[in-house]
Amino acid sequence: MHVRVSGSKWRLVLAAAAAAALAATGAGAAGVAGAASKSSLVFAELNPFSGPDAAFGPEMVAGCDAAVGLIDHHGGILGHKATCKGVDTHGDPADAVPAAEQMIATVPNLAGVIGPSSDEALATVPILNRAKVPMMADTGQSAFTHTTSQYFWRISPADDVKGYAMALYAHAHHETRAALVFGNTVGAQSDTVTVLKGFKALGGKVVDNVKIALDQPSYNTEVESMLGKHPDVIFTETDPATAATFFSDLKQLNHTHLIPIVGSEVTLEANWVQAMVRAVGGKTLKSYQVGVQPYAPPSGAAYTTFNGALHAVKGFSKTTIAVYSTDPYAMGYYDSVNIYALAMIKAHSTNRSAFNRDITAVSNPGHGKVVVHSFAQGAKDLAAGKSIEYVGASGQVDFNRWHNSTGAFEVAGFVHAGKIRIVDVVSSAQIAQLSSKR
Amino acid sequence: MHAFIAALGFGIVTAAILAIASVGFTLQFGATNIFNLAFGSTMTASAFVAYVATEANLGLWGAVVFGALFGTVFSVLLNRAVYLPFVKRGARLFEMIIVAIAVTLLISNIIQAVWGASFFTLKLAPTPALNFGALAFTRDELGIIGVAVAAMLCVHALLHHTRLGQAMRATATNPALARNCGIPTTRVIDVVWAVSGLLCGLGGVALVLVTTSFNPQTGTEFIIPILAVAVLGGIGQPYGAMLGAVVIGLMTQLSALVISPEYKQAVAFVTLVVVLLLRPQGILSEVAEQKEVVA
Repeated sequence: MHVRVSGSKWRLVLAAAAAAALAATGAGAAGVAGAASKSSLVFAELNPFSGPDAAFGPEMVAGCDAAVGLIDHHGGILGHKATCKGVDTHGDPADAVPAAEQMIATVPNLAGVIGPSSDEALATVPILNRAKVPMMADTGQSAFTHTTSQYFWRISPADDVKGYAMALYAHAHHETRAALVFGNTVGAQSDTVTVLKGFKALGGKVVDNVKIALDQPSYNTEVESMLGKHPDVIFTETDPATAATFFSDLKQLNHTHLIPIVGSEVTLEANWVQAMVRAVGGKTLKSYQVGVQPYAPPSGAAYTTFNGALHAVKGFSKTTIAVYSTDPYAMGYYDSVNIYALAMIKAHSTNRSAFNRDITAVSNPGHGKVVVHSFAQGAKDLAAGKSIEYVGASGQVDFNRWHNSTGAFEVAGFVHAGKIRIVDVVSSAQIAQLSSKR
Repeated sequence: MHAFIAALGFGIVTAAILAIASVGFTLQFGATNIFNLAFGSTMTASAFVAYVATEANLGLWGAVVFGALFGTVFSVLLNRAVYLPFVKRGARLFEMIIVAIAVTLLISNIIQAVWGASFFTLKLAPTPALNFGALAFTRDELGIIGVAVAAMLCVHALLHHTRLGQAMRATATNPALARNCGIPTTRVIDVVWAVSGLLCGLGGVALVLVTTSFNPQTGTEFIIPILAVAVLGGIGQPYGAMLGAVVIGLMTQLSALVISPEYKQAVAFVTLVVVLLLRPQGILSEVAEQKEVVA
């Protein structure tokens, strides 16, 4: 039977369809318009969860889950609960771009992003900025040191400065002939510039600069060539498998000895350490290798809150907690989510464009501001009408006009599985002095 | 000069591993026309069996024997249980490639599920390098070279001095004719898979002995240079694969010295492209005929 529908009923049907369509397209832009009442705000973890840098993702999960757990425990953000969502970029810009675009289009109530990393930042930062998604990036690339992307924020020091810290440590230990062994990836190669510049400015000589292809079955040729140049220190950043093969070959060709190794933060990651311990032995690794990473002292009120929050996350094993409780990047991600949350409360809005403007208002130091060390404390003081400065587990955050915040670096060495110890600290003043040298 | 000779030596070690693996790969392809992309992940699985053997304190030879045995049995079963049913249903070359890719993913994920996405090392005492003038080899590397030479001689003897080898060559050349001549091609194919699997297992153990550290993706990544060697030598040509392994092995190590270490893999493929431009069928192959898939 053919049913005829009157003209007015057709208009009603069309109006209902249009409203449904609008509601569907509004889902991805909820953060721009403001989240629907009682819905959960989503902090997306845009980082590699697979591939050579697969260790980055779980680090992010540790920090984010700790933060949202505490936020929800203390009433949420403007009536909303908070949650984290992993978005795997595979560490490859070709995969990261569609992942980021899909995230923007399909994640309802996307409040902000932690990430991207160096593996995908150059490709995804413009996309996120165009979509007005605030991002607390963990890329150290110098391309962002003077960025004009308004939604880009960098809470950890740039790679520019990490290389100086590595050079300063080697210089302090009277090492004068360096070999650079860095993987031929964007992230690793961006670190070499300041290592080279800093070490030479300190009077050191770079005798070899090896850009190695990753995951090769053997590096004997490269090792033999490097040994012929007699370095007394190796600066390095490669993935775990490459490092294990390279340094195992070095140990075999150098009469069972290594050469002192100063690595980037990658060399303090759990899987890098594990691969190296199995390849060259724990005792050898302990004697020869240190890594440089942003300084986050595991002490103080902010750290105690972070550590407690980490312990409270459901599903985290004792090993996971032990690994990330002193991880400055996990602390940085935790602080990033707290800063977002406090900025939303300050702006009285979950609208991304609105609270993005208030990020510096809750994080940078300023006259008359009350220093707070946790989300709960900050939310309470904001509710009481005070101005706050959030100083979190990763230390003071002071964004400059390019939305970059720098700090000190710690030099840490392997102790045993899941544990590293700080052997030295390189201050931001030392780094500033070295970076100003020509 | 010293560095050049040392690089030659290291190239020989790389060539040895490539030779063992690529001869196994190309031998099987030559007889069956199945592009077994799961070869790399089977190498990884064999390496993990070797790992279990070393954890059980069976030592290097225990690792080699069990790794090789696993490769042999697994490859035969893989053909019987997975590839053969598809072939019987009329699957052609392209469909079989898709099946092989699926098997690769399955194996890698099973390994990861059992052992985790971590890094492993065979539990063996480290061996320092032994110097022979400018050449430097560890005992393990000398062993790998020895095993590679022995394996190549055994393959040669099998193919040219045994009836089974004759049957294998006949099946590879023209399976239908071989069948009509009374050669039990099904059984011959089983033997081909077994020999290929044995070399796959040996290759997997040799690879992880040299890399020191391995993970569930190690062999899967190594399939690329294996393919390059097999194609360079002439796909389906074991002697071509041996020659291709030497060429690629030496070129990658010498390029690291002369050009830059970051272009090792690129140099391997540039070499392949140049050879194929001059000789499209590969170094030793005759012009390839369109063959049926055999299982």
